[in-house]
Amino acid sequence: MTHPSAPISLPPIHRETLPNGLSVVIAQRPGVPLAAVRLVLRGGSSLDPSRRSGLAHLVALAARRGTRRRTGPEIDLAVESLGAELGAGVDEDATYFGLSAPVEELPRCTDILADVATRPTFPPAEVKRLQRREIAALAHDLDEPSVVADRAMLSAAFGDHPYGHPPEGRVRDLAEARRADVATFHVRHYRPSEAIVVVVGKVDVADVLALVRRRFGGWRGPDGSSPPVRAPAPPTTRVLVVDKPDVTQSQVRIASLGFPRKSPDYIPGIVASALLGGGFTSRLMEAIRVNRGLSYGVRSRFATSASGGVFFVSTFTKVETTAEIVEVALQETARFCEEGPGVEELERTKSYLCGLFPLSLETHDQLAEKLADLALFDLPDDDIRLFRDRVREVGPEECRLAARRYFPLERRVVVAVGPAKA
Amino acid sequence: MPTPRPRTSVLDLDEVKAHTLPNGLRVRLLPERSAPTVSYYTFFQVGSRNEKLGTTGISHLFEHMMFNGAAKYGPKEFDRVLESRGGHSNAYTSNDVTAYYEDFAPEALETVIDLESDRMRSLRLTNDSLEQEREVVKEERRLRTENSIFGLMEEQLEALVFLAHPYRWPVIGWMDDIERITRDDCEAFFRTYYAPDNAAVYVVGDMDPDATLALVARHYSDISPGPRPGPVPQGEPPQRGERRAVVRYPAQAPALLAGWRGPAARSPDSAALDVLQVCLAVGESSRLRRRLVQDEEVAVSVSIGWGWRIDPGVFLAFAELSPRVKSARAEAMLWEEIDRVATKGVTGAEVRRAQALLRSSVLHELATHHGIAHALGQAEALLGDWREAARALEHYAAVGARDVRRVAAEYLDPARRCVVALEPEVKR
Repeated sequence: MTHPSAPISLPPIHRETLPNGLSVVIAQRPGVPLAAVRLVLRGGSSLDPSRRSGLAHLVALAARRGTRRRTGPEIDLAVESLGAELGAGVDEDATYFGLSAPVEELPRCTDILADVATRPTFPPAEVKRLQRREIAALAHDLDEPSVVADRAMLSAAFGDHPYGHPPEGRVRDLAEARRADVATFHVRHYRPSEAIVVVVGKVDVADVLALVRRRFGGWRGPDGSSPPVRAPAPPTTRVLVVDKPDVTQSQVRIASLGFPRKSPDYIPGIVASALLGGGFTSRLMEAIRVNRGLSYGVRSRFATSASGGVFFVSTFTKVETTAEIVEVALQETARFCEEGPGVEELERTKSYLCGLFPLSLETHDQLAEKLADLALFDLPDDDIRLFRDRVREVGPEECRLAARRYFPLERRVVVAVGPAKA
Repeated sequence: MPTPRPRTSVLDLDEVKAHTLPNGLRVRLLPERSAPTVSYYTFFQVGSRNEKLGTTGISHLFEHMMFNGAAKYGPKEFDRVLESRGGHSNAYTSNDVTAYYEDFAPEALETVIDLESDRMRSLRLTNDSLEQEREVVKEERRLRTENSIFGLMEEQLEALVFLAHPYRWPVIGWMDDIERITRDDCEAFFRTYYAPDNAAVYVVGDMDPDATLALVARHYSDISPGPRPGPVPQGEPPQRGERRAVVRYPAQAPALLAGWRGPAARSPDSAALDVLQVCLAVGESSRLRRRLVQDEEVAVSVSIGWGWRIDPGVFLAFAELSPRVKSARAEAMLWEEIDRVATKGVTGAEVRRAQALLRSSVLHELATHHGIAHALGQAEALLGDWREAARALEHYAAVGARDVRRVAAEYLDPARRCVVALEPEVKR
């Protein structure tokens, strides 16, 4: 039987650092005539000052609301008239600007992207309006039980560590942010030496390089880099109930301390997590959905960041079976840590992961995201190229050890969003 | 200087090999070797529009049953076998179709054909698996409808827009009907709607079309055709005035959902409504986002959903409003903007912007084997011809500002609108 295990072939990749410190990554590949551009700035919501959660997020959104050459509405119209999309956002480790554009419009779109990221003026009225909008949007988001559960889990798992607050911020902090906070954050943290530009598509490398030099070469910023974020401590074991009296279904999260992206446990961890709660044949899916009909879905995942991470199980069930689903999930987890995987299920799960992997590199945007992550976490191309070989090498004992070390056995938080009286 | 001919075709379908087996199964194969993957889609021409009151939701519940074992591959085997060969699968049910897919490495092609033909030939429907899937589907309904504000509102809206047509009920079905569906209902459903002459298979990716067609013929040819599906009721009475519903629910902010009955997907107006959708609410510079979100700040988001359907479908507008805004104020602005398009039209620049954004969106869809296979299936199911998948951009290019104004006036008539308002309920 043949396995989908051939090494992954990457398109030719050109890497270069400009004199101002900006890292440039260009991958030329065939495909649809769109180009994907990703500008990544190290340091995301973990750089939010105390009582200013959501600041990095606000800066990323506010950047496109005006530059010296264009107003916010002019930027919107220019980008969209070219058939392009320009998005901005943050996670705990970085700020991201993503551009998807018809390949022939790449020069004009790159010009706008550089303008927005490196020369925003943060018009006071626009910053204020964005603050109001983000606060109003949170009201809608927090009406979604799954969003409430995710935020509560993050906070319970990381406490007051910089990874513990939601990147979108909290209402009070968003309300109190001032324009000066926004502008200062930009000056301090948007700098070429901490930035990466990735371009992927049917492009000419020399042309793109010239374009990036022209648009980003004059960008200046303070030298040096931000100190790394300290490693998070394991959570204090507890059960957290968020009261939503009117829902008929509870959202459940079970979390424990994970590992950073560069951990040697990354690959065995991914395999162990897929065995427990990935795909349609995982242990949790079998126990919770197939055998008991308790839920429509259940999954587990390692969320890995630069300085640490979290492992979590995520599911939902009718209010009456909330305690039962938590119990089943914890039992299955404990049983897996005890026994480790069977030979057949381990082989199946590894094939599943190996088969899925090329699908995560299929579009220009997907490859740009992967290449940006390599640069952000300082990982070699082999991280992609040899992914499948490394997965294939994972044995049952390695899986069991990763599970015992990270899965929620002793130090863990359980979050349930539903009617507290149930 | 010669003007470059506008590039409208984005997908070269000359390579598609199309064939119909003697039992009626349609097979379409497109070799495309840019990535070492294959996507295999099976479209059944059945969705909630083919259902009847009392067993609403059977199309979707049945979709779940398709993963519970057949004669050769028993219970739990489908995904196990597929995953062990490096593939994965899923499915969805809409108002019009039920579609299943597998994405996998080329080596697994014959396994996939064996798995799919096995369940089309000899699905095993047991009471046990029905009871278990019923519970899973009820959880899905709790997730997507009962505890989701948009889900609650959408369910109300469709019931306002349609009085007689089966689009009136939600794809997932009414909770009571989900409870009531029997194994016999499922058996009859399977015989009629999952027969090869009611299905089409699309294979796109790294494979040889001749060899693949031979494999498909070998595995599916012994499956018998089924009875002809019954007609779908079309007697929707004309709407002669606005229809409204209110949803009271504990929420932190109000929301507004409006809908109008549009044309069938096959109508030439469908493409013009796509352009109208982009002019109104796709992108920050669209009319509704600029007015309601940026200038007046009555909403935090506005979106338009114009979903092409076999029978006349719904053009809907959804706005999440700012917490303390009066719903009536936001509503008035929405009607004003729509009226402006219907009476004064849009500019040529707005149409060109919409066409550029639609082109990129089509290119995104066609960037993967999965996306191409889906586009072929969708085009054949809704428009009767898979070749339509490559013609979307021609249709968009042919739309002018006058068409946009005409479809806005014709379909978004105030007397034919339906409105659902979310009123946040404060609990003491």
